[in-house]
Amino acid sequence: MPAMHLSRLTFLFAGLAVFSDTRAAEIPDRIPPGVQPKPHVLLVSLGGTISGTAKDRLNVTNYGAPRLNPEQWIADLPDLALYAKVTPEDLRAPGEPSTMDTAHWLKVARRLQEIAADPSIDGVVITHGTNIMVETGYFLSLTVDIKKPVVMVGAQRPWTALSGDGPLNMVNAVRVAATPEASSKGVLHAMNQNVFPIRDVTKASAYRMHTFQGIDVGVIGVADPDIVKFYTEPTRRHTFQSEFHVAKLPATLPAVEVIYTYHETPGYIVDAMVANGVKGIVVDGTGAGSIPNSMTEAIKKAQAAGVVIVATARTDGGRVQVTPRRTESKVVPGDNLPPEKARILLQLALSKSTDLAEIKRVFDQY
Amino acid sequence: MRLLRLLLLSLVIGHSSLVISTAAADNLPLVALFTTGGTIQSKGAHRLTLMEYNAGRVTPDELLADLPELKGLARIEVTEISNVGSGNMDAEKLLRLSKAITKELARPEVAGAVVTHGTGTLEETAFFLHLTVKSSKPVVVVGAMRPFTAISRDGPYNLYNAVRVAATPEAAGMGALVVLNDTIHSARFVTKGHTYHVETFVSRELGPIGFVDTDRVVFYRKLLSKHTAASEFDISALTTLPMVDVVYGYQEASPAPIAALTEAGAKGIVFADGSPAFGKAIQAAQSKGVVIVQSDRKGAGRVTISSNVAARGQITSDNLNPQKSRILLRLALTKTNETRELQRIFNEY
Repeated sequence: MPAMHLSRLTFLFAGLAVFSDTRAAEIPDRIPPGVQPKPHVLLVSLGGTISGTAKDRLNVTNYGAPRLNPEQWIADLPDLALYAKVTPEDLRAPGEPSTMDTAHWLKVARRLQEIAADPSIDGVVITHGTNIMVETGYFLSLTVDIKKPVVMVGAQRPWTALSGDGPLNMVNAVRVAATPEASSKGVLHAMNQNVFPIRDVTKASAYRMHTFQGIDVGVIGVADPDIVKFYTEPTRRHTFQSEFHVAKLPATLPAVEVIYTYHETPGYIVDAMVANGVKGIVVDGTGAGSIPNSMTEAIKKAQAAGVVIVATARTDGGRVQVTPRRTESKVVPGDNLPPEKARILLQLALSKSTDLAEIKRVFDQY
Repeated sequence: MRLLRLLLLSLVIGHSSLVISTAAADNLPLVALFTTGGTIQSKGAHRLTLMEYNAGRVTPDELLADLPELKGLARIEVTEISNVGSGNMDAEKLLRLSKAITKELARPEVAGAVVTHGTGTLEETAFFLHLTVKSSKPVVVVGAMRPFTAISRDGPYNLYNAVRVAATPEAAGMGALVVLNDTIHSARFVTKGHTYHVETFVSRELGPIGFVDTDRVVFYRKLLSKHTAASEFDISALTTLPMVDVVYGYQEASPAPIAALTEAGAKGIVFADGSPAFGKAIQAAQSKGVVIVQSDRKGAGRVTISSNVAARGQITSDNLNPQKSRILLRLALTKTNETRELQRIFNEY
């Protein structure tokens, strides 16, 4: 059965390749004359749905192994050669898709830091499963000192799917990574023809192609059929502007967990986290970042034990603001970060300081 | 002193300009307020009048007297440009407004400018200022969706926030800004997206560039395109702008407006989509020197650079909507009629 499966896939890809070859010959070379030779883009696989395959091309929900090796993308997309020389690199976590962890983040960050210093590489594309790709990307944008374009890409449908979004997403991600204007803008996210800074993009739909949205703010650029165009750049610190650096991070990051709130959220969740040794808790508050009264005592106890509390808002949109009451209760506002990103920033901030004013500064600047 | 300033400004700006100073602490930033009118300066018959409010105009004095909180924020100097609905804005007022702002912002003691405006064409005036004000100090255009007399009116808080942004150093270099509903939009991206709601101003896929929160005026984006101090457009000697109009495209759209506009002396026509019937009329217009810009009626996304459009000697509008394409084309035509150069301008602004 597996053998038949594989041979069928090979047939499918051979067909794709022939079709693409014919088409590619008709596409004019879009690389601007000034940029020769073509940029060298490293295509780093962290796996994800974009590498997923299924026997049936209508299977867009229950796909799994076998996952493609990154070489297969390049074989399937001769079109990539129009924009860049693309070299594959496999950095998948063992047991991907569900085993991405901090240890692997650190490994990827260290490798990206090496790439930053490699003069033969002009830009980087990193594939990732869409569910937590912006967390991985945000971690990289805070810890790697790099100016070259770094573009996260994924797909909502597996590589083998009918009307799969993976191939065009991949082509566009390589185009963005090969675009000089994409440099110095931090880690970017390119899917569905949009380009976002990783800080400001979130997955907002389980299955739709336009799942990645900026809730408060929008795209900074577009990968249109004619050109890649940037309209704005992010103001918050990232990559080469960041004070965090992978080489200076401890082997394990301070433990930080997230609590989702609702009316009558029990304080014992806080107690349990403190008992498990967390150094920080991100409370995803209601409304403007309010922490329910049912948690107040537990929060005070946690703070007395040295645990730092950051408030985010479960509304998705809007900043948690500095208010007198929040300052008095020593809760750090999480700006407009979603809790999963506030967690990463708090882990990094706590790796340098436990001073509340200093942590607040970090949340104001990143 | 006040009289002298009034006299000087009247001489330079002409018309109904008026300068008022409010008493506020000397150490507060000085913000130049320019009033043009709009719903924010309109009165209704009663407080539930949320449409067809035409029971009188709010003077700059009334506007400031209504908002004593401004005294804790900034010193305000007012220049009244007009007191009209946004439908009555025209090239003469745009030029007068932009020149007056440039002049005020040239004073070292002025921190920024705020402009009151009707919301209907606010995006056009804001974009014009974005392209023509020769200063990197903040220029903030503000309006309201509910009149001065309405229940739950949004004008006062919008004006308060606009002054805050104008007095914020981080707002410098951001180009002209539109501030309503606690949200900061770039004049380059913003458009009015709802007929009545307070969250009417949207920037489609590009989104707001910042927010006016109680604790902080916060910016998340910085523009990459040219504007204000870096803009190549110089209006200092202009008294009028080239005639440019918009033709809307739809199924079976008639080419008659194209011929009529050409006949009336249009120097440019912006198309909000096309129609197969337009072809010959467009060619005829082009043969008389009318510049054609292809924009789009969808409200989001770029009109891509097309070799077909270029071969026809026409220009694509990038992601500028028709009304903003018109503003840019009017300014561009003061500099050049050359297609390639006009396309460069549309690519860069």
